[in-house]
Amino acid sequence: MGSNDSNQQHGTATSLRELARSVTPPRDLWPDIEARLAQERAAVGGARRFGSLRPSRGQWAAVAAAVASLAIGVWLGRSTLPTAVPVSAGNTATATVAQGEPAALQAAYVSDPRYLQQRATMIRSLEAQLKALPQQTQAQVGASLATIRKSMQDIQSALGRDPGNALLQELLVNTYQDEMRVLTAVHEASDAGEEI
Amino acid sequence: MIMAVAISGAEQIDWEQGLVQRARRGDTHAFERLYREHVGRVYGLCLRLTRDPAHAEDCAQETFINAWRALERFETRSSISTWLHRIAVNVVLAKRRRFTPKTESLSDADEPAEFGWTLDTPVEVGEIETAIAGLPEGARDVLVLSGIYGYSHLETAAMLGVAEGTCKAQLHRARKLLRDRLNVEIG
Repeated sequence: MGSNDSNQQHGTATSLRELARSVTPPRDLWPDIEARLAQERAAVGGARRFGSLRPSRGQWAAVAAAVASLAIGVWLGRSTLPTAVPVSAGNTATATVAQGEPAALQAAYVSDPRYLQQRATMIRSLEAQLKALPQQTQAQVGASLATIRKSMQDIQSALGRDPGNALLQELLVNTYQDEMRVLTAVHEASDAGEEI
Repeated sequence: MIMAVAISGAEQIDWEQGLVQRARRGDTHAFERLYREHVGRVYGLCLRLTRDPAHAEDCAQETFINAWRALERFETRSSISTWLHRIAVNVVLAKRRRFTPKTESLSDADEPAEFGWTLDTPVEVGEIETAIAGLPEGARDVLVLSGIYGYSHLETAAMLGVAEGTCKAQLHRARKLLRDRLNVEIG
């Protein structure tokens, strides 16, 4: 290995070894990494309190069962909602609410920036964590999250038409909590199952 | 990279080993120092292997997270830079495997001898980078690791999980394609 570690981007070169080996990323990646490490440390701390870091077959089954029951619960919740109007080009206000984050919400839990940041971090790490889970559980998690997110959209659409509806607000908060439970379950189950 | 310039290689290894030891004990500040020292080389490698800045950011981030998880397994006598590069290659290949079908493979039959990477005429750096980015995946992977980062055939083959002969064949192919695209002799 040579010593060409500069960030050279311009000029000419007469050897590939003259190309810059070090390229500065467009943004500092450390804050996101630090947030993930904090999550991992918290999860490890929790896992140590409860015993082995590596989930057993029973724990896989428990995660799968929890995810399956959440999906059913969310589906039942959705079935109690007023009929959601499909988002269309002619329904701009509804579309904005349905596609965006919980802008129409009054509920402090969902609009808390710390919660939103934590959620964004967990969603970003979900893909890697899912890899540590058995195929069947991965499929169940994927289906459950799809159901939960469809519920969020439906509730947000309904809230777009009736922003003051307390029942809808509560349902939406519950749905976000369901999503967070699934994300947390995946995170805890995949912890220590990761191989490089 | 300031610290790397200010101290000798041996001192840097000692200094980094100290940081590794502290990070193993859960010291994230020590790990951040390691991140700051190596993120450029890790991101540079990921960028060349993925050709996509956003994807490269994800891979670089994942590399450091995986490194944190695996710190216990790092042998302090090894180079942390090489170790991080191995992890980065694994991350890139794992993501690539999930999103693309199996890439092309070359037989070991046309294994060439060792060769250099000197161009007979100076070429714009941007032009070289574009030509490298346009290479097929397998050829690009070995060229980046071997031609730019200076890993041996054996090291490159180990990182990519291919036979050394396949690695040499891919390099031969990369060299030929690069020569055609840049219109220069590569010796």
